[in-house]
Amino acid sequence: EPVTEGSKLEKLFAHPLYNIQTPGLTPEERLLEAKQLMEYYKRKASRWERHMKLYSEAAAASNITVSKHKVTFDSDANWLKFHLGINRYALYSRDDPAIGKLLRDMQNMTVIGADYTQDEKALKGACDCTQVVKPSGHHLKLALKMQNYAKAMFKPMRQQRDEETPEDVFYFVDFQRHNAEVAAFHLDRILDFCRVPPVAGRLVNVTGEVLHVTYNDDLRAVFFVSPANNTCFFAKCLYVCKTEYAVCGSPHLLEGSMAAYLPSLSIAPRISIPNPWIRSYTFTRKEEWEVNPFFCDNVKQLYPYNSGNRLLNIIDMSIFDFLTSNMDRHHYEIFTKFGDEGFLLHLDNARGFGKHSKDEMSILAPLSQCCMIKRSTLLRLQLLARPEYRLSDVMRESLQRDLLQPILTEPHLLALDRRLQKVMRVVQRCVRRLGEDKVVTKDFARYTAK
Amino acid sequence: MIKMILFRKFRVLILMVFLVACTMHIMIDLLPKLEKRGAGADGVDGGCQCAHHPGAQSQGWGKQRARSAADAGWPNKHTLRILQDFSNEPSSNLTSHSLEKITAAADGAESRRRSGPSAGRTGDHKPLIRDTSGGRTAPVRGASRLSALFQHPFYKLDLPPLTEEDTLFNVNTDIRFYPRATGNQGWHDEEGNEEEDFSPTGEVTAESYPNWLRFHIGINRYELYSRHDPVLDALLKDLVTQRVTSVAMKSGGTQLKLIMTFQNYGQALFKPMKQTREQETPPDFFYFSDFERHNAEIAAFHLDRILDFRRVPPVAGRLVNMTREIRDVTRDKKLWRTFFISPANNVCFYGECSYYCSTEHALCGKPDQIEGSLAAFLPDLNLAKRKTWRNPWRRSYHKRKKAEWEVDPDYCDEVKQTPPYDRGTRLLDVMDMTIFDFLMGNMDRHHYETFEKFGNYTFIIHLDNGRGFGKHSHDELSILVPLSQCCRVRKSTYLRLQLLAKEEYQLSSLMEESLLRDRLSPVLIKPHLQAMDRRLRLVLRVLAGCVEKESYVNVVEEDLVGDTATHRSPGH
Repeated sequence: EPVTEGSKLEKLFAHPLYNIQTPGLTPEERLLEAKQLMEYYKRKASRWERHMKLYSEAAAASNITVSKHKVTFDSDANWLKFHLGINRYALYSRDDPAIGKLLRDMQNMTVIGADYTQDEKALKGACDCTQVVKPSGHHLKLALKMQNYAKAMFKPMRQQRDEETPEDVFYFVDFQRHNAEVAAFHLDRILDFCRVPPVAGRLVNVTGEVLHVTYNDDLRAVFFVSPANNTCFFAKCLYVCKTEYAVCGSPHLLEGSMAAYLPSLSIAPRISIPNPWIRSYTFTRKEEWEVNPFFCDNVKQLYPYNSGNRLLNIIDMSIFDFLTSNMDRHHYEIFTKFGDEGFLLHLDNARGFGKHSKDEMSILAPLSQCCMIKRSTLLRLQLLARPEYRLSDVMRESLQRDLLQPILTEPHLLALDRRLQKVMRVVQRCVRRLGEDKVVTKDFARYTAK
Repeated sequence: MIKMILFRKFRVLILMVFLVACTMHIMIDLLPKLEKRGAGADGVDGGCQCAHHPGAQSQGWGKQRARSAADAGWPNKHTLRILQDFSNEPSSNLTSHSLEKITAAADGAESRRRSGPSAGRTGDHKPLIRDTSGGRTAPVRGASRLSALFQHPFYKLDLPPLTEEDTLFNVNTDIRFYPRATGNQGWHDEEGNEEEDFSPTGEVTAESYPNWLRFHIGINRYELYSRHDPVLDALLKDLVTQRVTSVAMKSGGTQLKLIMTFQNYGQALFKPMKQTREQETPPDFFYFSDFERHNAEIAAFHLDRILDFRRVPPVAGRLVNMTREIRDVTRDKKLWRTFFISPANNVCFYGECSYYCSTEHALCGKPDQIEGSLAAFLPDLNLAKRKTWRNPWRRSYHKRKKAEWEVDPDYCDEVKQTPPYDRGTRLLDVMDMTIFDFLMGNMDRHHYETFEKFGNYTFIIHLDNGRGFGKHSHDELSILVPLSQCCRVRKSTYLRLQLLAKEEYQLSSLMEESLLRDRLSPVLIKPHLQAMDRRLRLVLRVLAGCVEKESYVNVVEEDLVGDTATHRSPGH
């Protein structure tokens, strides 16, 4: 194709490789039924109304300022469409207009409620400061509820865009970056994986949109005004253990990422499975895969990696993590409904994009040790390595649509190209060793049509 | 059977050695001055343990002492200083020096060690540290502002004559029994030095003491050290060059500090580098969650000397080898356990403390060298008790509450009527301290200490200056509130401040020159130096305002006329 002016991103998405029709979906292949979801939504809404009544009385009695917002029950809400669209092949389809609208909703819809996330609540306030690896509930994130009951996970900005992770920091003590969450969603979409829930950047007014709409006393208690007169709040355990200071608005506005919630576990249960290429999460110990080059031969024998697509999905995930340089993929999740053939959810990407000057080759271990890759993935990677669809260019363009742009600094974008080359080189080495037939695998779910 | 007998014999041996050790302890304890706090309990296990090497008794014992000092959880005696941390839970924050409770017992004939004395003697009080830059040797160049400053008449004011009551230790009667140093009682140090230096009749000459001891001897009612004491430079040199023999974590403090013991038994407080020179305290940090900076400790010592207060114990910067000089010489398991190798192959550790002691705040070397400040220890609390006073202008240490002085403009009138501020020089000392803290931007002066022996008529020790020099772009005027509320100042201080505001004695260039002598130079970046000039002008402006409002005689306390002793002496 000739290089022409105009949007590289649009051209990419117009490419035949990105326009393979998925086979028609049977009800079995959809995650949710519309009726079931609506019933769940109605129950939630009426419970919220009931609680609101009680809360407002209690708040009035104890003289706490709580702003009231009108809540609308909208059976046409974009987040409902997103949930209904989830199928056994992907979280969403790239051309679904509801996704774009959902991103916009998360950027500007009124926030009516704020609370801690479930995994933080599950800790029940227990703080063990001696833990070297903090459980995910320790990190600062909030669940925000929007006017139409859509929920999003808010992760505040902790680091400037141009700051890199210091060289002495281990992967498990690194900061969580809001821009990495946003960028990971865009990259996932450009790779046509569609396994990351939609994420948008947003400027949140921490006073008006968090402090004044929360009914959680514990959350209210962590707010304070800093010496520079900014509204700040902190993650209780990390603050008590003095590992992290608070995050502060300036004076109220704070950047952060808003990640759309997946359907509730009660209607769409998921399981979390340890990654076979998990790291040791200690200062010294090494895992077996780090010392045994034939580790993959063992994995291939084990259920569920001994059949079907699962191992190939893990390799997709490792390529995705290598591009973002996320070393913290200890678990992955799948929807139980789709069983072993379902896709892997790429949740929690906030530890990516920490260093643009270093490529952590160990993340690619699944690919380099197993020496297999989906044909569809490889074809897209090859496409993105070509100048007219260059990965950094399409990422830059895609990220420009976000409110908080620039999401990634230039060095990070250019690192993507460099890392892509390294992935291709690993594949080439495998092909040279084992032959293309053994390495490049036809994946038999989504792209069988091709 | 034979086993049994052997075992019994061994037990007898243990018992004998134990008894000998205990007797020795008791003997030491009975000696004057030391009687109150002997080696009693500590000594017992020391004696028992060294029984396994009866031959090496004395040295084993000496080592034992060092260890028991390091390991034992210190009794929290000075819980007076409770500093609310930033989550508002009280945690004791002992002063940096209040824990040096190595019991007094003797420890080896250290005074006979050649290295100590020789370092202190002869022409050794050259600027240790950087050979390249002209430190004190520089006056030859004639360009040294610092030596010009110290030549100025304002820096030649004499102390009142000292009586026995005015020195912390009496050289003839007290120092002989000073532990570890004077080396009588027949303790031999490990290297088994010759005996000639030692004379049990107390004729050990002061020059043969290690420098840290000579520093302790020199402390008097008016100053920690005298203006041109050669011991000072020798002591600073010791801090940088002496071999570290053991390291312990200081318990009780909020941020990580290590107690280092040197080969000549001197001790110093080590604060590792946590921030780079260029980093400023983030604007949203409260004063009580700020980092402690090693360079602030060093700079505070130099500033205090330039202001001629001489109330900060000597501090020097040192590049420490984390492997050889910390990890390999510590017997503190808790500290040792926190060492690890970073992904970039540097040696890191994080220790154990309540503030910033976690993997996220690990201190990493390059690959194993880490900068830090070493502050000389003050005399052991058993020999020279100190009193801890709550600063009347203490901050609330709370995110929302305000302190009384922040809301009451007439707060000083109240303070002036409360002992010990109603007489003597205490209020003026607090004013000096206020000016000192404002110049550094140190908001964390919640308590101060004095030597108990001198009662209420003595100077204030300026300890714990690590939270100064955090922001060069901001002048925290609230630190000056004591001065603007009380409107009192010593004439000598006032004159010196005016002098330091002059072009030819500019504070920033004096500080720059003085700090060049430190091995970690540059200790402060330019903006911090310039900020001091700006802050000095602000202090002078406040004082000028006071003089205008309340007239010179009511503001400036005359402390220069004839016998200055009149209002300083204890007989007041």
